[in-house]
Amino acid sequence: MFCQDPRHLIIWSSFLVLVLIGSSSAAAQTAESDSSKGIPIDNATVKQACSSCHVADEKGRLSRISFRRTTPEGWQQTIRRMVTLNGVDLDPETAREVVRYLSNTLGLAPEEAYPAAYEVERRADDQPYKDAGIQETCTQCHSMGRVLNQRRTSKEWALLMAMHRGYYPFTDFQAFRRSGPATDEPQPVDQAIKHLSEHFPFQTSEWAAWSATMRPARVAGTWLIRGQALGLGPVYGSFTITPVPDTEDEFTTATTYTYARNGRRVTRTGQAIIYTGFQWRGRSSEDNGNTHREVMFVDRDLRTMRGRWFTGSYDEEGIDITLERADSQPVIAGVHPLALSTGTTETLRLYGLNLTGESPSNSIDLGPGIEIMEVLGNNDESFDIRVHVDAEASHGYRDLFFDRSNISNAIAVYDEVDRITVMPSTGMARVGGIRFPKQYQQFEARAYNDGPDGESNTADDLDLGIIDANWSIEEYAVTIGDDDTQYVGSIDGSGLFTPSLDGPNVERSGERNNIGDVWVTATYPAQTMSRSQLRARGHLVVTVPLYLRWDPTAVEQP
Amino acid sequence: MKHIQAINRKATRMENSVAQTQDTQSTTDDVVALQDQQGPPQQPEGPHIPLGCSLVFSPGWEVDRNGGTAGLCQPVERDLFDCHRGCFWPAHVPDQLNHSPDWTSKCAAAQKDWRKVDLIFP
Repeated sequence: MFCQDPRHLIIWSSFLVLVLIGSSSAAAQTAESDSSKGIPIDNATVKQACSSCHVADEKGRLSRISFRRTTPEGWQQTIRRMVTLNGVDLDPETAREVVRYLSNTLGLAPEEAYPAAYEVERRADDQPYKDAGIQETCTQCHSMGRVLNQRRTSKEWALLMAMHRGYYPFTDFQAFRRSGPATDEPQPVDQAIKHLSEHFPFQTSEWAAWSATMRPARVAGTWLIRGQALGLGPVYGSFTITPVPDTEDEFTTATTYTYARNGRRVTRTGQAIIYTGFQWRGRSSEDNGNTHREVMFVDRDLRTMRGRWFTGSYDEEGIDITLERADSQPVIAGVHPLALSTGTTETLRLYGLNLTGESPSNSIDLGPGIEIMEVLGNNDESFDIRVHVDAEASHGYRDLFFDRSNISNAIAVYDEVDRITVMPSTGMARVGGIRFPKQYQQFEARAYNDGPDGESNTADDLDLGIIDANWSIEEYAVTIGDDDTQYVGSIDGSGLFTPSLDGPNVERSGERNNIGDVWVTATYPAQTMSRSQLRARGHLVVTVPLYLRWDPTAVEQP
Repeated sequence: MKHIQAINRKATRMENSVAQTQDTQSTTDDVVALQDQQGPPQQPEGPHIPLGCSLVFSPGWEVDRNGGTAGLCQPVERDLFDCHRGCFWPAHVPDQLNHSPDWTSKCAAAQKDWRKVDLIFP
């Protein structure tokens, strides 16, 4: 899109040299203040792999490496760059050992890793950063999460910017420097170095505290799964972790869970490693080869883990996961369905662990207006109960009491569906299937009751859960004669959008790709006479492939 | 519009487009690009920021400044060689300078030979 004139390249290259000289002098100024920082490298494998280029000082600190902290994914990206661009020859086993040591020795504390957890969990949302100017500088090319997961000395931040300029000369013109008349205001890149040095320094109280107490988390045992999959709904099951003999931080896993809405039961086996004492990175597979990557964070009390399990060519399909340690006591994970209409008799299925031998009718309480009529049998992981909801029962959520535990807002009691919504409100898919993979987009429709105030979108609205809506796509008219709906792809009855093929489409004007903007529309029969149907829509961008993938894929392999 | 009559083809297309849009239950407010920075009220607030997306370049890779695809270079294959040579999209397209100097060596013209370019894991 931007014609390359050799004369321009020469001018830009000359300019780049000047910029780098300026940057180097700035880095030199900060070097002295950074000299007291840095963490020594005390691992023979790392020294052997890295010290041919990274020089050790008298304290055993390797240049560059000892002055930066990041996630396992961050270290892996760096090592991959060393292999592809700097000629480092590492076998996979050595590379894994280097990632493990650096992640544990030069990692992030839990408080430092949580704010940008979405980055390693591969969620398709970059969160707004508090400084819009810094965000604009960085997100020209990559997500802000990539920045938030770094801690560096001032000198290291400056050298990182210099690296960007060296490898990607266009960054100066795209983001790092302003065009137009000269002003006294610092250039964006200099503002970024200053800001990031102040807000993401190498030395922090969080890391000092965490590194003093850090050790591999003791997670062996059985955990209760509570999950939520977009469009598919709640997931309940068990997750059993077994230590690998003679290791402290490697584990094998056995997973069983059920999608409550359709009863599909999934069994997986896997392996995992815990970095920095709390960062779970695992991989598990079904017998059919369907593989999930697991990114989770172990809470400090060792009783909860949270994160995301995901798959897909762009990591777009996933389950939001919460694990809670399950002892031998019976425990309830959740219930299906999530809402009961007044004046009806329905069957509920409750999911949990250690339920065999329980007498649920005595120990369960669904609150005012819901009578438990019958228990329909139980096994270790679930049981069914028949309930009647009083016609006069007040509308609202009910906590579920079970034995001595409670699930807050487990069930909603309502009279009718007042509105529906489509999630996500904005989605993205990528064409593919011939040369490059497709990126799918799952949508879900949720029903709501307006609550006691009778008004939509207020705090007392009741979420009634996912509904089986009718799905269609409509034109999001961007230009006159817009024709995207004919080309972008299709959506099935479950709300899963499948994009069309990649490559120029010779049947489309200008041989355009099968990309475009559309509305994804859900309709649902209305229960009142005033409206024939309820309707909601979300925005979907169907766009071009990525031809380059930076995402690390192997940190979960011990 | 009832006092104004279309007298050329472009005006006729506009009239037809308005009529067609009204037929499909949308409103004329839905025509959002060509390109209003704010967008109509029913447009989702602000552009969505998918992970790794470049929003700010003009145009962007996945989406343009308005969060849509109307402003993108099309077809993308027509652009790949320049992107590769110029290292313009370092997070989206392999760059000739460092990571993948031979990326386009197997195809003389990307728009025709795009099946020969590989997905690169740098």
